[in-house]
Amino acid sequence: MSKTVIEFKNVSKIYKLYKNDKMRLLSVFTKKIPYKEKKAVDNVSFKIEQGESVAIFGKNGAGKSTILKIITGVAYATKGDVNVDGRVSALLELTSGFDPEFTGRENIYLKGQLSGLRDEEIKELEETIVDFAEIGEYIDQPVRTYSSGMKARLGFAVNVNINPEILIVDEALSVGDVSFKNKCIEKVNEIIHKDNVTLLFVTHATGTAQEFCKRGIVMKNGKIIYDDDIDAAIEVYDKSIRKKKA
Amino acid sequence: MSTVREILKEHIEWRHQVFKLAKADIVKTYSGAALGWAWAIIKPTITILVFWFAFSIGLRMGGKVAGFPYILWLIAGMVPWFYMSEMITQGAGAIRKYRYLVTKMKFPVSTIPTFVSFSKFTVHLFLLGITLVIFALFGYLPDLYLLQLPFYMLAMLMFFIEWSLFSAMLSSVSQDFLNLVKSIVTPIFWLSGIMWDVHKIDIGWLKTLLMFNPVTYVSTGYRNTFIYKIWFWEQPRSLLYFCIIFLIMTIAAVWSYRKLIKEIPDVL
Repeated sequence: MSKTVIEFKNVSKIYKLYKNDKMRLLSVFTKKIPYKEKKAVDNVSFKIEQGESVAIFGKNGAGKSTILKIITGVAYATKGDVNVDGRVSALLELTSGFDPEFTGRENIYLKGQLSGLRDEEIKELEETIVDFAEIGEYIDQPVRTYSSGMKARLGFAVNVNINPEILIVDEALSVGDVSFKNKCIEKVNEIIHKDNVTLLFVTHATGTAQEFCKRGIVMKNGKIIYDDDIDAAIEVYDKSIRKKKA
Repeated sequence: MSTVREILKEHIEWRHQVFKLAKADIVKTYSGAALGWAWAIIKPTITILVFWFAFSIGLRMGGKVAGFPYILWLIAGMVPWFYMSEMITQGAGAIRKYRYLVTKMKFPVSTIPTFVSFSKFTVHLFLLGITLVIFALFGYLPDLYLLQLPFYMLAMLMFFIEWSLFSAMLSSVSQDFLNLVKSIVTPIFWLSGIMWDVHKIDIGWLKTLLMFNPVTYVSTGYRNTFIYKIWFWEQPRSLLYFCIIFLIMTIAAVWSYRKLIKEIPDVL
């Protein structure tokens, strides 16, 4: 029996939508300001155990990214209990928190320091990360000059190499080319099996997910509509897309 | 109270990162430009010279103040202002500027104002060093009164960290608020007695009102140290008023943090 690293109990996330910024500012001072509610995550419960790799499918706006943000600790749940046990390394929306003004190399250090690594530890990882990212001379250029593919590659290289316990990947593989994608899949497979890392993977590319996930969660309108075997999950997801088209 | 404990706990747990980020903030501010660090001096120097020219040459007001040349009086009050004006605007924009720390990774938001303030404070220390050299060149060597400067520095640092936490939280929700803050910097400068002598005001209520202004308190404090040679406990009323404002600012900062911390990642 392995230990549970992520647990959601009846979690909901409600975004408050105000008419404009002015209304939002006023709402800080008075409760009378009207707003609309958008339920991004609706009463969701699940458990993920150490070493599992789980794919999350769903159309845009289904609540996938919100769930990942809650796990990362970036966003807060409105209702329910969330338990996360372990160091989370997250690649949210490609950039994984780079400072655009710093060079790639400086960002490696910054990110390492923020993840609690000592400078010597980062120095040891530096070469590996730079090699993995394959962005050549650009490593010493400011990140703001990077293309989205380069950002994603550096982000991926940093996140998989700083010894995470829980790895969260949101869409990041969709921008890389095939050879880089394969390298990532290989690397992710390696750390899953060798270091017992837990992986959460959000994507629209069902084929990629199949390569390292055994479990799939399908979301629709903030709810989980399927949670079990990956192949069946892909089927459910495909069906829900096709229904839309018909 | 639990919010205060939470903020302090975050600061202690992340202290290493706070210093690293302060250093990174300085590097970022100055490394991009060809002249780099020189900009930390050039900007204040130009400002001081322009005011000295306008008031001393233009308006012919630049007599000696308490036996000190006008330019020294100007420098003593302006040096803390450079830090304070940076903190009023950039402190308010701190969380917006570092939004990637809020929306892309787990990072204690309450420490963002702190490291931005440390970064500006380092520049302030640098300018203060130059100020001491200038005073020495004019023949005024450091004396006992300099010992009270750390008190004013700490008061200023703490107050503006709190200001930054308060205003940065509100600014992240609303660009309007940030614009409002930016537009009041110049009025604050002219109303706070940085360019004129607060001691000379003889309208009672106005003098009292000015004592509640923390910018006036700090700027006058620096002048009391460098020029007027007054100890901070010799003006207990000013000290009391500053403490009251400090307390109000603390409450406002904690209130704004508690109110908005869960909302900020959703709106940035």
